[in-house]
Amino acid sequence: MKGHERVTVNKDSISLKSPVAMSLGLHLLIVVVALAGWSWTNPVQEPEPRSISARLISPEPKPSPVVDEQDQRDDAQKRELAAEQQRKTADAERKKAEQEAKRQAAEKAAQEKARKIERERKQQEAQAREKAEQQAQAKEAARKKAEAEAKERERQKAEEERKRQEEAKRQAEEEKKRKEEQRRKEEAERKEERARKEAERKRKEAERRLREQQLNALAEEAEKARESEARRQREAAVAKAREAQMLTDSEKYQALIRDRLAQAWYPPASATENMVARLQITLLPTGELQGVTLVSSSGNTAFDNSALSAVRSLNRYPVPSDRDTFERYFRKFTIEFNPKRLR
Amino acid sequence: MFKSKNSRSVLAKRHVTMVGWLMVMFFVASSARAELLIRITEGANSAIPVAVVPFAESGAMPAGDKISSIVQADLTMSGEFKPLSPEKMLSLPSERSEVYFRDWRMLGQRYVLVGQLTNNGGRVEARYELFDVNREQRILGETAAAPQGNVRSLAHHISDRVYEAITGEPGAFSTKLAYVTLSGASNKSVYRLHVSDIDGQRSTVRLESDEPILSPAWSPDGKKLAYVSFETGKPVIFIHELATGKRTKAADFPGLNSAPAWSPDGQSMLMTLSKDGNAEIYEKNLVSGKITKLTNHWAIDTEAAWDHAGKGVFFTSDQSGGPQIYYMERPGAEARRITFGSRYNARARPDSKGEYVYYVHQRDRSFHIARRNLKTDEETIVTRTGTDESPSVSPNGRMLIYATEQGGEGVLTVVSADGGAAYSLPASEGEVREPAWGPITR
Repeated sequence: MKGHERVTVNKDSISLKSPVAMSLGLHLLIVVVALAGWSWTNPVQEPEPRSISARLISPEPKPSPVVDEQDQRDDAQKRELAAEQQRKTADAERKKAEQEAKRQAAEKAAQEKARKIERERKQQEAQAREKAEQQAQAKEAARKKAEAEAKERERQKAEEERKRQEEAKRQAEEEKKRKEEQRRKEEAERKEERARKEAERKRKEAERRLREQQLNALAEEAEKARESEARRQREAAVAKAREAQMLTDSEKYQALIRDRLAQAWYPPASATENMVARLQITLLPTGELQGVTLVSSSGNTAFDNSALSAVRSLNRYPVPSDRDTFERYFRKFTIEFNPKRLR
Repeated sequence: MFKSKNSRSVLAKRHVTMVGWLMVMFFVASSARAELLIRITEGANSAIPVAVVPFAESGAMPAGDKISSIVQADLTMSGEFKPLSPEKMLSLPSERSEVYFRDWRMLGQRYVLVGQLTNNGGRVEARYELFDVNREQRILGETAAAPQGNVRSLAHHISDRVYEAITGEPGAFSTKLAYVTLSGASNKSVYRLHVSDIDGQRSTVRLESDEPILSPAWSPDGKKLAYVSFETGKPVIFIHELATGKRTKAADFPGLNSAPAWSPDGQSMLMTLSKDGNAEIYEKNLVSGKITKLTNHWAIDTEAAWDHAGKGVFFTSDQSGGPQIYYMERPGAEARRITFGSRYNARARPDSKGEYVYYVHQRDRSFHIARRNLKTDEETIVTRTGTDESPSVSPNGRMLIYATEQGGEGVLTVVSADGGAAYSLPASEGEVREPAWGPITR
């Protein structure tokens, strides 16, 4: 559910391309970066700046001037025009020569006659031609000159434009550089901030981890202690239950032994209520009497003997079959003979 | 943080160590704990099984009861022993080497008495041994002898020795009884004062009279009897020397002279006299003959008896309207009533140890012998027969004899002092009453 929501939000942010999106993107980036590890020593691959059109211009300005297309087009036209004129001129000359030849052929007869005139005229023509040529040449020169001038103007203009553009580009570049710088600076600052924050975060994280570790350790310890305590209690409970069972068994067999001995004991006539004889007896696990010693005399031999006799009179003591209970309680125990109710 | 953690862990370690120590201590304590103790505060409520094996005999033995039979009967009468009948014995040993303890154990016997009798020129000599079957030990081995005409005394002596070896108390089987019998037709009554063994055997008549004989009382040395005889027409206290038959009047005052009781030292006698008009308790110094009045009351005070120490006096008085037992700590001191809860409590007889006092006690319409524990004031009925009177305690305090009726006839019955077992003495003749248990004499 949560993941789904997040996805939706991301979509929105992407579609909105709002500052929120930016911010989210940035955070996402940070997270990605954070997730990608902490290799902050390497510079981060910067995204291409979008606001600047520097990409359209080649990043390194060429030293040669750049001709405008329009200029080139104008130039060509001019050249074409000139060529046309030359062609026309050539045409007219060719025609003139043809007409001359024809006229010469027609005038062959009159050639001689006319030769002189012709020669004169030729001379005149050559002179004219020369003159026209000279004129054309002058004209051409003037045109060329004008053309060169125009070209020069054009060039200067282009140069200016280029310079302007270069300046603009430079400025743009500078701007870009500045911006880049600023961006870098900001980025660096941001980075620094981020690093600081990261460091802080790391520190905090480390602290948190440490604390967590400590807490974990404590919790673990507590858990261990609790477990061991629980185990101890469990064991104690088991032991206690066993103990209780043993005690219960023990009490049962104590009662049986007490009964048997009470039936087997004949307090002597001389017994008084304050007489106490204590006997320590040792039994075999089969219940057979192994030994008996008078550990505390009543002061009355008959009384002591009656107790000893009673203890020895039982062929087999009722003892628990459980070996532990037997060992614990009945391997060796004390019997006290003390008549509370005399006959 | 780390420090605290460390200190914590150290603390935890300490804790663990402490717990460990505690556990160790617990185990040590539990293993070092006082071992199991079983208290036996009650004994068997039955008689001790004892085998009295018929003694081996060499030489001619006098006719009559065998010594072992008499011993058996004595032990039976005490109420404290249950002798095995000889038919059930697997063997009849007469000395230690012949005793197979396992056999006697199998038969459930606690003690075995074996012996040999030899007749040595009219003297019967007995060698006897008593064994504790469970401990497989001889607890008695003696010889005793008696003229062949007196084997009963030898038997009673052996009974006494056996009794003492087992119980730690001196036996009272060699003591004597005094009692009075009444016989004869309705118009001709004969009262006889008897002295016998405690089993009623060997009874001898010491006094015979047409008039009542009452309240025989033994002197502490067992040589004299005091009693009240009406032979002179009125009650007179006599002292009768048994050995010689010599009689002296201890009290012959006008009115009532009755209820003689010797002091433990035999130097004085308590008696009831009415010479001054009302029945009062007097003490007569038997040496000086001086008489001292101990009570002075309008009611009847009678049946005095010294306590076991010879210091205080129990007596019966009807000053409360009916007979009750009173006690004065010394002669003449103010009396304190000690019995309550019954209309009739009379004739107190303390035991020789100062533990109990026995008296006739009426419950419903029956008269029983009751026993009162002087320390706890606990009162228990020890006889069940119904018309019981005249209790007398054996000198070792273990048996009680009293008079009762059986089939309309007065008989004497011996019970163990706690009322456990009853043994009726064979009635020698007629009605038997007023028994008095004689002292132990050596």
